[in-house]
Amino acid sequence: MKANPIAVLLVGLLAVAAAMPARAHGPLFSPAPETIFKGGTEVTLGFHTAKTTGGGDREKEYEVFVGAEYGLTADWEIGIEVPYAWKKSNGLDANGVGDIVLDTKYQFWRRDLPGAQYKAAVFFKTKLPTGDDGGQPRIGSGSTDVIGGLATGYESRRWYWFVSGVYRVNTEGAGGLEKGDRQFLNVVGGVRPVLTEYDEPDTVVMLEVNWERAGRDDLNGAGLADTGGWELFLSPVVWWTYRQVAIRGGVQFPIAEGLNGNQATSDYRARIEFIYHF
Amino acid sequence: MHRVLRTTAFALSLFLLPVIAFAAPAQYQLRVDGLACPFCAYGIEKELNRTDGVESIRIDINAGTVTVTMAEGATMTEAEAARIVEDAGFTLGGFEEVRAQASTKPE
Repeated sequence: MKANPIAVLLVGLLAVAAAMPARAHGPLFSPAPETIFKGGTEVTLGFHTAKTTGGGDREKEYEVFVGAEYGLTADWEIGIEVPYAWKKSNGLDANGVGDIVLDTKYQFWRRDLPGAQYKAAVFFKTKLPTGDDGGQPRIGSGSTDVIGGLATGYESRRWYWFVSGVYRVNTEGAGGLEKGDRQFLNVVGGVRPVLTEYDEPDTVVMLEVNWERAGRDDLNGAGLADTGGWELFLSPVVWWTYRQVAIRGGVQFPIAEGLNGNQATSDYRARIEFIYHF
Repeated sequence: MHRVLRTTAFALSLFLLPVIAFAAPAQYQLRVDGLACPFCAYGIEKELNRTDGVESIRIDINAGTVTVTMAEGATMTEAEAARIVEDAGFTLGGFEEVRAQASTKPE
């Protein structure tokens, strides 16, 4: 059975869009305004999986990725993320290095208070067409895409909140397919149940609400009916940290959708990351 | 003989006490605004440990303070502390020089 390239690409694009690196206790499935300290390096080893079904398709993806961020100043960081993906689509399998993402973030506003911090940042990413886009299912999209957005938030000893908006411009990729541009809106709340000391393990729990909308895809100049629309996710996230080490994980559950036509919808997405600050 | 020795030792200790007190390392307490979580606070530990003359630091995350103990003879200015805290992504809210070792202070 032939894989549905649209559904496969949808999973891949969502996975990359979800790969928003964060500093400190930022959200997992959406961008955060944090930047790493000047001269600091953050290395992330992560695992991501996603499953979509419907419209006669069944797709599953597993992805391992390595990311690194470097603080040029306390407000400005640059980074890279290299994924390796395994994809299953309607009985077909493929694996390989995925699309590499380069990113930069600038924290343009910060207000520090005793035990609390407000901040806001702008960020840009470029997804390069480095993944194999010739096989089935496709590991890479074959397109160079640009992602930009704004994130703001508040962090205190007890409470957290974040709000962000992201716009993704997709270009024509493999097989003449141009994915529709995507928009993301995110609202996040979090709490630290127990206030620990600096040299003790620390736990924070968060709940994200992630809204995603995609425009219709375009194949060789013609719009595709069964593409585009929106999905809404509820995403519990847990952070565990000890000094410069962090482990965080979460699951995105779809709670509503308004996808166009007959297409695969998300069943779930899960992600776990191991983060180390040098 | 013993009395002479005791008197000499006492006189010597009176002479040395101010010297010991003078040689005690400087210690500063920095109030760091924006310090909200241990994972973020690691940046300030890293920045301070890179600084010449810093011997040790103690972070009190709930009080929002960082106590910095300098190596013998080393000092830190408020401007230096402000720059270090800024590089870590926070704001220096207060800077106070404190005694390093109370037990070495002359009465």
